[in-house]
Amino acid sequence: MMIFVLAFGMLILFLTFGIWFAAVLDGVFSRRLSGQSAVGLLAPFHAAAVYLTQQRLRTEAPDQLNWFLSIAGYLSVAAIGLAVVPFGPDLAVIGLDTSVVFWGACESLIVVLIFLHGWSPNAPLSLIGAYRYVAIGLPIMLPSMFVLIAAAIPAQSLDLREIVASQETMWNVIRQPLGLPLFLLLGLSLTLRGPFDYADSEDLAGGTSAEDSGANRAGWQVARLAMLVGFSAVASTAFLGGYLGPVLPGFVWLVLKTLVVMATVIWLSHLLARMPVARMLGLIWKILLPISFLDLLWAGLVALA
Amino acid sequence: MGRIGGTGMTDLIFYALSALAIWSGWRVFRVDSMIRATFALMVSFISVGGIAVLMSADYIGVATVFMMAVEMMVMGLFMVMFMMNPAGLNPMQMVHQYKFSIGAGIMGFVGLTTAVLLTNFPDNPLPENRDTLRDLGIELLGGSMLIFETAGVTLLATMVGAVALSSRRGRFGDSDVGAAPPGLHPGGEPAGRKVEKGGGHGGHGGHGGHQMMAEKTKPNSNDDPHEGHGNMPEMEA
Amino acid sequence: MTLTAILIVAAALFGIGLFGALSQKSFVMLMMGLEMMLNGTLLAAVGFWAFTLEGAPKGQLLAVLVMAVMAVELAIGFALVVAVYRKRQADVIEGIGTMKQ
Repeated sequence: MMIFVLAFGMLILFLTFGIWFAAVLDGVFSRRLSGQSAVGLLAPFHAAAVYLTQQRLRTEAPDQLNWFLSIAGYLSVAAIGLAVVPFGPDLAVIGLDTSVVFWGACESLIVVLIFLHGWSPNAPLSLIGAYRYVAIGLPIMLPSMFVLIAAAIPAQSLDLREIVASQETMWNVIRQPLGLPLFLLLGLSLTLRGPFDYADSEDLAGGTSAEDSGANRAGWQVARLAMLVGFSAVASTAFLGGYLGPVLPGFVWLVLKTLVVMATVIWLSHLLARMPVARMLGLIWKILLPISFLDLLWAGLVALA
Repeated sequence: MGRIGGTGMTDLIFYALSALAIWSGWRVFRVDSMIRATFALMVSFISVGGIAVLMSADYIGVATVFMMAVEMMVMGLFMVMFMMNPAGLNPMQMVHQYKFSIGAGIMGFVGLTTAVLLTNFPDNPLPENRDTLRDLGIELLGGSMLIFETAGVTLLATMVGAVALSSRRGRFGDSDVGAAPPGLHPGGEPAGRKVEKGGGHGGHGGHGGHQMMAEKTKPNSNDDPHEGHGNMPEMEA
Repeated sequence: MTLTAILIVAAALFGIGLFGALSQKSFVMLMMGLEMMLNGTLLAAVGFWAFTLEGAPKGQLLAVLVMAVMAVELAIGFALVVAVYRKRQADVIEGIGTMKQ
């Protein structure tokens, strides 16, 4: 029980500071690359204050309950995804034998929640965003599941705790070089960023969040950042050895690796080019999916050798 | 069998999840929007997955959530695709043989419950600390590998069948202009029963004007496979 | 949590699914009824596995097969709906009453 309370406290701390830091980092990168957004350690709070004092706009006959549920659900799925990450040996909030599959379940729920967020305002642009996102969000999950299964092979377990333990000698990012890049692309899709942002993008005037205002908008942006934190923690656990590292305590190593992954995702989101939906579908099904098969095959051959 | 803080807690969670499963299952056929219905069904499935996890079927429970979230998402898309209004927010009431169905549902429930209550089931519960995940893996790739692989091949056949059924391009031309069997000699009259002019599938009433229909469906045929056969530009949604 | 309780819940889900499958006009809603019935079946299968089989792995295999059946049903069902819709612009069951030649 004590361990659960400790892990839960760490989770809340991790999530809160992670969200704030992700917002600052995002501002820094946007500033560097486009020279637009405001930079500063307090800038996220200013943005939140602006959103929260805004007038609430209403659409015609929205589904208020599902609108709220989609935002709250997106935030809580991010927290649940973070909860399977071990902060130290045997220090995970949710210790499941099947935590990799559990994270997969979170991924698929995220697609549902983003669709719901675009559907519930009953407005055209947000619905288009939701539809486009489902077309991209479902297939991009397949490569991510294959690379996660490949990461589970050396551990001979679907448990993230075992997967970390199996990286004692060599991190998965070296053992399976194709895994992390593919997983990072999934991160772009889950957090609605850059080239995989077919839900909330500028060409739809904000897409699924086009009709969000006030607290809803603040909540959705916070949830997106929380998802970035959760995803980065899972990626650094599955591929970068999680809490493993010399000298410093395990939790600090996990935080450092999470920050590196987070910065990489944000950097990629500003760097990579956008594509039309049809071409992106072709890229996912015809190129990324076969590459993930290769990754799985490679992991299997290494395990047999 | 107490997985989370003793048997009492497990019981409480079980009853809560059961109530949620049944309530959301009931809502599926009572809400007035198809999207709401789809996601109510998803909630029901997730509750059943939770109950399975309570019963130590970790993999089955979590995989249920995983599969059903994806399936219901696809289902929701199809629902909206075939509905009159795109967002599916207008009220709908589309039922028939209502009284009979209620009767059948209640009869099904009462009959099964009676059977359950009158049967004496063997009592061989799952041993404590059994590694059910390992059991499942060994079973799937050991003794029952043939069954498992058969399921895999069935799924492959399903994929092929689904694409063949839903593809607009067919052996005898586009599916929405009506099919005609090949001629008895090359380029000759179609073999088989003679049909009325206008379509290859005479005998069904209710819809006139296949030509018009074919034109109407052409612009929204973007569920075709996207391997560039002329209508690539239409693909961009 | 006893086997009887689980089976009663499964029976309730099955009953609701039967009601839905029989009463709905739309194809897609009809499939939701079928899925709901399979939902009850899945719960019953897992329940039997946990309480009467002493954890024999074949019980879990049955549950996996139920899930495979769901996927097959959904995929073929949607393909048929698309085919029928292309052919007849019908999305309700009454629309294909003339299918019997």
